[in-house]
Amino acid sequence: MAEALSAAALDERVLSFPERRPPAAWFAAFAFTSSAMLLGFALIGYTVYMGIGVWGNNRPVGWAFDIINFVFWIGIGHAGTLISAILLLMRAPWRNAIARFSEAMTLFAVMTAGIFPAIHVGRPWLEFWLAPYPNQRGLWPNFRSPLMWDVFAVSTYFAVSVLFWYIGLLPDLASMRGRAQTPLRRMALTVLSLGWRGTPQQWRHYEKAYILLAGLATGLVLSVHSVVSFDFATSLVPGWHMTLFPPYFVVGAIFAGFAMVVLVLSAARRLMGLEDLITMRHLELANKVILGCSCLMGYSYACEAFTAWYSMNPYIQHTFMQYVSGTYGWAGWIAITCNVLVPQLFWWRRMRTSQTAMIVVALAVTAGMWFERFVIIVISLYHDFLPSSWHVYQPTLVDFGILLGSFGFFFTLVLLFTRLLPVIATTEVKATLPGAQHEGGHHG
Amino acid sequence: MAEGRAFGVLGLFSDPALLLAAVPKLRARGLGRVQAYTPYPVHGLGEALGLRRSPLGGMVLVMGLLGTATAFLFQWWMNSVDYPLFTGGKDPSSWQAFVPIMFEVTVLFATFTAGLGMLVLLNKLPAFWHPFLDSEASRAATRDRFALAIEAEGEVFDAAAAEAALMVVGAGSIEVLPGLPPPRRVPLETLLGLAAGGAVACCLAGAAMYWGVKLFPVLPPMSHMLAQPRLDAQQRGRRAPAEGSVARGRLPYPFEKPEQARGLGNPLPRTEEVLRLGRKVFAHNCLICHGPLADGTPILTAAYGGRPANLQSRKYLGLSDGEIYHTIMKGENAMPRLGDGFTEDERWAVIHYIRALQRAQHAKDGDL
Repeated sequence: MAEALSAAALDERVLSFPERRPPAAWFAAFAFTSSAMLLGFALIGYTVYMGIGVWGNNRPVGWAFDIINFVFWIGIGHAGTLISAILLLMRAPWRNAIARFSEAMTLFAVMTAGIFPAIHVGRPWLEFWLAPYPNQRGLWPNFRSPLMWDVFAVSTYFAVSVLFWYIGLLPDLASMRGRAQTPLRRMALTVLSLGWRGTPQQWRHYEKAYILLAGLATGLVLSVHSVVSFDFATSLVPGWHMTLFPPYFVVGAIFAGFAMVVLVLSAARRLMGLEDLITMRHLELANKVILGCSCLMGYSYACEAFTAWYSMNPYIQHTFMQYVSGTYGWAGWIAITCNVLVPQLFWWRRMRTSQTAMIVVALAVTAGMWFERFVIIVISLYHDFLPSSWHVYQPTLVDFGILLGSFGFFFTLVLLFTRLLPVIATTEVKATLPGAQHEGGHHG
Repeated sequence: MAEGRAFGVLGLFSDPALLLAAVPKLRARGLGRVQAYTPYPVHGLGEALGLRRSPLGGMVLVMGLLGTATAFLFQWWMNSVDYPLFTGGKDPSSWQAFVPIMFEVTVLFATFTAGLGMLVLLNKLPAFWHPFLDSEASRAATRDRFALAIEAEGEVFDAAAAEAALMVVGAGSIEVLPGLPPPRRVPLETLLGLAAGGAVACCLAGAAMYWGVKLFPVLPPMSHMLAQPRLDAQQRGRRAPAEGSVARGRLPYPFEKPEQARGLGNPLPRTEEVLRLGRKVFAHNCLICHGPLADGTPILTAAYGGRPANLQSRKYLGLSDGEIYHTIMKGENAMPRLGDGFTEDERWAVIHYIRALQRAQHAKDGDL
């Protein structure tokens, strides 16, 4: 953090974004992402109308782009919760400057992810069947199904992320209200900030709530991707039925999420002129997390290989060999290269602090993690137990269009966020600026 | 409340140390309640104002445990008691698979208690009307200044003395916060208008729901369900047991024609317990086509056409228990053979229940 920064200057820097007209570059980016988003939604409409036969999914590959994209996006969200919750509990004050942005990315990633199970079921208008509502026929959902656990885990994750984010935003909205020039804007921000006044009573409850939310979100972030992995691990499909899956998925989620955080923050700090607030030190620390996760990913891949060999089960061994050879072997090698090999560049400090290098690595990890889910899902399925059922999966243009649309949706939301809300948690940063606290009274 | 009495007097500080030093001095003067407004939590201020610890932790613990218990009881009652599901060869009362949802609901209850409990219960938000929000100082005190106020506690408040006291402790930009205006009464016409509008909205929503539910399944793409080539659960999804096999606990059914079964009598007594079992079997299996009153008009016929048997018609009123039993075992017209899915007791219990429905629809004076 720059030593000379004052609280007033911080507000002027961060809170003035929503008050200014965005530059032309923003509109250009928005036009691009929102067009991709609209294409995606149009294709989703087409899918809902025609049925999921317009996708490439067919027996035995019943899960493909829909579930790959779901797991991919829900994983992206995990970095935000990790940064905002776990690093808060670990008293890592460097998180303050990047927490808000990453939390917002969590929300948007979970929203993007939520689209996929909803359209994957094919008849989204019957989704209310998932809810345990009392009905004339006296039926209840099967709570022993991991898919039901998934519904609860993802919806809880979304609800908790919204709450955590909004509560963090509240004092900043009050600061924005203090700056409002027009009565209408002032009134709108009064409502959004719920009339926050910042009395010591309010702060006392607020700080307690924030720590509690961080603790609860920590447990949640570890559980969500574990539950997502149960969708696979509790089945009997060779390659899925492994105790390794929950930690493997959680690490992969944090890995992919941090790559997206590095990618978006490097662009945002440059374009918004926030280099002195979101500093190279933040990015370097995030890159260290990526390096650590990359090593754990390598360990997980090795573990999969070992499990296949040690199980002496020909089906598991066959599936594993399909990961790295056969029709889709290239996908497995993309995953290994992008997730395990490329991030090893970060052992060098020069690479960790090079803007170009980190964008290359982050793009590689994002692509690599998408392909990892492709490997896990499609390759495990396409060679069924009976060779007569084997089927080579081919995605259709609709599949690719919806994938593109999901990126459009995510980045449209990110772009809107940068122009509507404070991208840095100014209240949290202010509270830790030099001279912000009376000496001796500091307790986190 | 005295008309025109000020809400309080407020001054600004730029240094948290000065603010903390001023608090005990002002509290000692006893001019009114001392309150602070700060842009971020200033540590030590709560202690200086004599605040107690936040009770939020205890609330979150209690509600979290309540979430665990709720999730367990819901899942256990739904999947083990009310609608037992046999999956993976496990006893339907096994609890282990309920743990993930118990965890999620615990977190859900706990976080919403922490978030909404903090905002609504403890901090009394939203509060859009407060003299501080309309003050000039609210601009600076949400940026980098710290406001300290002396607020009126009772009927008597000496604004001039409070101003002087704030000046002595070094506060700047002193400002008198005007008292709250008397609450405005909502005119009766407005209330009546709102009530009438609400009633109209409810009627419209009800009509929309009624027609929506009737029309929804026949509109594309929902109607594509009718045109699909595969078999549905209601069609012939339930498979007959292999030829010549006898399921454990079941007896082979010997009859081919309903006349042969006519003489079978219902072996079960007409007790409340039996009727309860019958109602459950009927709801799970029969209601979807025959309707909740067994009159052949469920919601599905409105959408899909088809004429499931009206069990309230003269033909079915006249059937013997044995003939109904035969239909359950062998099927009739579009109705598949369903009997293999039920135990002997379930088949006879549902017949008792159908009889009860018939009697309820054709009640005689003596039944009242």
